[in-house]
Amino acid sequence: MGVMAMKWFLNLSTRAKLFLGFGLMVLLLVVMVTTAYDGIATIRESQRRLYELDFEDAVDLSLLRANSNGARMETLEMMLTPRPSEQEALQRAIQNRKRTNDEIVQRLQQRNRGDAEFLGPLGEFDQLRKAYEEIRDEKVIPLALQGKIDEAQALGVGPQAERYDKMRSILRRLDDAAIEDARTSLAESDRKAGESVRILLGVGLLAVILAVAAVLFLARIIASPLVEISRVAERVAAKDLTVGVPANGRTDEVGRLAETFRKMVENLRSVTRDIGEGVNVLGSAASEILASTTQVASGASETATAVSETTSTVEEVKQTAQVSTQKAKYVSEAAQKAAQISQTGRKAVEETIEGMRVIREQMESVAESIVRLSEQSQAISEIIATVNDLADQSNLLAVNAAIEAAKAGEQGKGFAVVAQEVKSLAEQSKQATAQVRAILTDIQKATSAAVMATERGSKAVDAGAKQSVQAGEAVQKLAESNTEAAQAATQIAASSQQQLVGMDQVALAMENIKQASTQNVASTRQAEAAAQNLHQLGQKLKQLVEQYKV
Amino acid sequence: MERKPTHASILSPQAVDWSEVRRRLEILQGAMARSATPAVEEIRRILKSRAKALAREAPEKEGGENFIQVVTFLLAFENYAIDSCSVREVYPLKELVPLPGTPPFVLGITSVRGRIISVLDLKKFFDLPEKGLTDQNKVIVVRADFMEFGLLADAILGTRSIPLAEIQPSLATLTGIRSDYLRGVTKDRLVVLDAARLVSDPRIIVHEESMA
Repeated sequence: MGVMAMKWFLNLSTRAKLFLGFGLMVLLLVVMVTTAYDGIATIRESQRRLYELDFEDAVDLSLLRANSNGARMETLEMMLTPRPSEQEALQRAIQNRKRTNDEIVQRLQQRNRGDAEFLGPLGEFDQLRKAYEEIRDEKVIPLALQGKIDEAQALGVGPQAERYDKMRSILRRLDDAAIEDARTSLAESDRKAGESVRILLGVGLLAVILAVAAVLFLARIIASPLVEISRVAERVAAKDLTVGVPANGRTDEVGRLAETFRKMVENLRSVTRDIGEGVNVLGSAASEILASTTQVASGASETATAVSETTSTVEEVKQTAQVSTQKAKYVSEAAQKAAQISQTGRKAVEETIEGMRVIREQMESVAESIVRLSEQSQAISEIIATVNDLADQSNLLAVNAAIEAAKAGEQGKGFAVVAQEVKSLAEQSKQATAQVRAILTDIQKATSAAVMATERGSKAVDAGAKQSVQAGEAVQKLAESNTEAAQAATQIAASSQQQLVGMDQVALAMENIKQASTQNVASTRQAEAAAQNLHQLGQKLKQLVEQYKV
Repeated sequence: MERKPTHASILSPQAVDWSEVRRRLEILQGAMARSATPAVEEIRRILKSRAKALAREAPEKEGGENFIQVVTFLLAFENYAIDSCSVREVYPLKELVPLPGTPPFVLGITSVRGRIISVLDLKKFFDLPEKGLTDQNKVIVVRADFMEFGLLADAILGTRSIPLAEIQPSLATLTGIRSDYLRGVTKDRLVVLDAARLVSDPRIIVHEESMA
């Protein structure tokens, strides 16, 4: 039963526990306050009664006595004072005191209604007072005013003085009774106050004990798990995520806190692990990004350079296109001129073909002449052969003659000389014929060469004629080509013009690209710096994550 | 580039100076006309130079007994000579008829003024290189006491007289049939044949009986 209650209590929410604890406190406080209030109220009642009944009665009685004394003293003073002004002033004071005494008596009567013990003596006193005052006012004071002091004194000493003494004794008796009452009330009040204090002390002690117990209990059931959790939290704070949170199985806030904390630590652990992996990925990615960015930066720089070069190239191409336009126009004109010239060339080629034909005829006649010359040379050669034969025979004859002369001896000597002479002539003739034959051979060779040359010439002329025809066709084609070339050149000129316009646009675009490229370079530099920062951040994160024990 | 004539050289009229050609042709025609009928001075000059040449040669041939008259001829580019006394005449080789059944040195037979004679080739004897027969070949008709035959010669050079003292005896290096027919060699490498020994050599006589 007790365990169940304990369990029930433990499973109560902390707020409910606190409500319960502090409710107990408040209950005790209310008991205490009620007790204290009750005591204080008792004391205050006794004090009020002390003040209102006993103390005021005593004061009023004292005042009444004092006034009565004062009025008697002033009456006596009035008798002693001869000056009427002072007497009048004193008379007024006596009247005032009379009124005051009236009021006090009335007050006392009203306050002590029902108190016969008190009202009896007071009525007696009042009758005495009134009698005393009647005599004083109607007899004594007028006598004093008339200066009959002695009479007045006499009046005063007599019954008047007795009355006064009676009055004074009654008052003293009443006063004593009042003081006695007050003292009794004070003692009662003291007694009640002490009782109240004791009750208060008891209740307070009980409240303190209960409060301490509640505090200790609450501390044990609320703070201990929190201390446990905070110890775990300290280890977590010390970057140790390997710590386990003990489960207490409670369903209140502390239990939920522990459970939640356990989940939190687990989540933190998994998150830290994930972050660690993520940081690794981030680090490598940042490195790659940095490398890529560096490459991109250098690439962007190269691109910027290339774009600059391309821009200048485009400018050059533009100029080239202008030149091309001019050249194309020039070519167009030239092609038209060439077309006219090729017409002229065609006529010239036709004339050339005609000339070639004439040349061939001439060549043929030349060849015939040379052949005739060769034939005549052949005739000369035959003649020369005959002459040579004759010379040969003459030579033999001369030799035979010389032989005969030698046989004749001395007589044949003259004949031998003649024979020698004949032989010499024959040999000269033979030499001459040999020369002629050599010349004829040369002539024959020359004529053969001439004939062959003529033949070659003729063939060359034929080839020339053929080539002239081909040249004519070529010139015709050339003329057509020239016409086409003229048209093409016109189209080229137009195209070049368009190209020039296009190149202008390209130049503009290249300028934009150049600016973009410059911005690109700057952006890439920034990106590189950002990647560097990212890299450093990754390193830092890695270091941070590595500090956690997972 | 030079092989290929430019258009200017083909088409320009300066390539062939026709007037120069015509001038040269006229000169040649004039020269032809002149040479057909030589001038008197030219004829006289030729005659004079011949006379001079003959007048200089005359004293050389004096000498009487110490000289022999020879006919000189060519055999395979070598100069040979034979005594004029044993030579009847020289004759152009015409219509040589090969004779079957004869030794190789017998070329054949030919007709000289109606007489049939055999023609011998000394090159076969002397192992000289063959040159082939042409109508330029000559026949030297040699006559001995009892027989007559022709010797084939490539060409007849002429007749001259040689001092006997100049003829040196045959060289010791020459042996065989060649040395048998030689009389000697002169300083100017003229081989002098001994006609008498040649004719009397029995080897040149063809024995029909032995052949048969």
